Amino acid sequence: MNRQTIALALAGSLASAFATAAYSAPLPAEKMVGMEKCYGIALKGQNDCAAGAGTTCAGTSTMDYQGNAWKAVPAGSCVSMDVNGHKGSLEPKAG
Amino acid sequence: MPYEPLHASRLPPRAGAGFKPEHYADIVETAPDIGFLEVHAENYMGDGGMPHRMLAELSARYALSLHGVGLSIGAARPLDKTHLARLRLLIDRYRPQSFSEHLAWSTHDTGFLNDLLPLPYTPETLARVADHVDEVQQATGRQLLLENPSTYVLFEESSIDEIEFLDAVAERTGCGLLLDVNNVMVSAVNHGLDPFAYVDRFPLARVGEIHLAGYDETVDGAGERLLIDAHGSRVREDVFALYRHTVGRCGAVATLIEWDNDVPGFAVLYDEARRADAVLADAAARRPLSRSA
Amino acid sequence: MGHAATEAAFAAAILDPALPPPAGLTTARGAPDEKRFAVYRNNVAVGLRKALATRFRVVERLVGEEFFALMARAYIAGARPASPLLFAYGDDFADFIETFAPAASVPYLADVARIEAAVTRAYHAADAAPLAIAQLAALPPERLAETRLAPHPAAAMVRSRFPVGSIWQAHQSETVAPVSAAGGEAVLVARPGFEVGIHILPTRDAGFAAALFAGEMLGDAAAQALPADPDFDFGGALVGLTGLGAFSVMTRMDGGGEDDGDD
Repeated sequence: MNRQTIALALAGSLASAFATAAYSAPLPAEKMVGMEKCYGIALKGQNDCAAGAGTTCAGTSTMDYQGNAWKAVPAGSCVSMDVNGHKGSLEPKAG
Repeated sequence: MPYEPLHASRLPPRAGAGFKPEHYADIVETAPDIGFLEVHAENYMGDGGMPHRMLAELSARYALSLHGVGLSIGAARPLDKTHLARLRLLIDRYRPQSFSEHLAWSTHDTGFLNDLLPLPYTPETLARVADHVDEVQQATGRQLLLENPSTYVLFEESSIDEIEFLDAVAERTGCGLLLDVNNVMVSAVNHGLDPFAYVDRFPLARVGEIHLAGYDETVDGAGERLLIDAHGSRVREDVFALYRHTVGRCGAVATLIEWDNDVPGFAVLYDEARRADAVLADAAARRPLSRSA
Repeated sequence: MGHAATEAAFAAAILDPALPPPAGLTTARGAPDEKRFAVYRNNVAVGLRKALATRFRVVERLVGEEFFALMARAYIAGARPASPLLFAYGDDFADFIETFAPAASVPYLADVARIEAAVTRAYHAADAAPLAIAQLAALPPERLAETRLAPHPAAAMVRSRFPVGSIWQAHQSETVAPVSAAGGEAVLVARPGFEVGIHILPTRDAGFAAALFAGEMLGDAAAQALPADPDFDFGGALVGLTGLGAFSVMTRMDGGGEDDGDD
């Protein structure tokens, strides 16, 4: 394809995307909501803890956990989840 | 050094609460009658988003107190100019009624140590802290309230009493003081002092704000009581009694309920604030003109 | 001891738990007490671990609290915060996880951490108007191929050979839902307004989106995507990504980035 062909193909594809979304340019903002719903998968739960760590001017009486990181074994939900054939190992890695 | 006129702390003489993002919807919906809200400055030093939107909204509805936790005023090293500039920006943007920081250090050549660390009280550290407070006030154009620390250790080299140290910094710089009554209790128990005597000796005329919080309790290596400034519970009864004593002496002063760990629903903070408000109202009724400074 | 030396010794003992408390500390009874100094050491250690656990909640749930605490401790030892802005602490935690041998049995852990890091970054990112679909429609068709779009300051993409979006989603409720997806996923984190959105992109569009985020022109990005997947639909992908808030508003309405020359 030469540049001209590509340009036409892209413009045509974009125009049909606008048409599929049942509007034509220029697009009113409220129509975009419908478009979002047919693209990708919006995941829920994104409002929790998004701020990250807050600072504190306080101390804590929770004691720091002591232990050897290199002998530790993942033991959360990964142990039971099968992801592409990977399950959390019950044995520490050598090393 | 004589100080340029500054905008002093202008918080109303009522109880306020530390603001946490999880309480935002609750506060906006219920519009609680509360004297002021206080935030940690560093949590609002991002570029944009919800933090700034919330702060803009809340500062339009409530008196705002900006409480820094990372300036490291008690450090031997120079203040971080970048951090100072961020602080100035925040103060210019939200025009808080009060700005406060700690008599502590946290920044070292090795990076930021996320705690309020203690310093020895010597002529050298006094001069350093006064210079730093002066620099902060010049950079922000605001009077700073300097908070008394809670400490777990003492320094052999300390030669100045903590109250005299704070008073001297205020005298030299024109800064105000923030009296954390829970810190008084924590340090007094940890160092075998009388907390009531501490308050009685404190230069209360310089106090622009009071802090209240809950402490945790453990024992030290010798099995003696060791209080931890944990901010994870209601204000303990002995601290509340000390607070009553304090307000009885200095009159109604803006009082913050601090809660930073295991933060409960806003209703609990509000309830604590109402308790403090009752003490303040009582003091105001008895000494209506007590705060003329 | 002078002020600087006192603080240097104090800091060194906080950073290295193997060191004894610094000299010169005492108590009211006149004797030093190791347990009292340990309060400061503990405050710093627990504070940073909690900072990481707050930001990387799904990572913690995946490996369990105990493993997370040990992994966090290993990270903290080599990555002390440089600034008091703790919300940015852990920006490179995912890179560390990738090198942390005990976590090797959970090969998707680092990419899940990348999503969680991106969510916090998006939350605090600069406010900017997202590119509107109307602006896209107003682009002259002949300039379309040479146009470059600027990623929105809050937008970030995580491409993984694991279904990390589905894994992240399964961990948002109290009980972890079974993960039904397999294969890889591309996740877009965006914040066109004030709310952070996390989206799994259609697989066929992942390469195209990545190319645009890397600053490539629309024509080049499309030319790469098409041979990879014949189902790739340029218009659908571009309108979709734009609608999610992936791009910033264009400052030049005649299309094109700053550096595209005239034909």
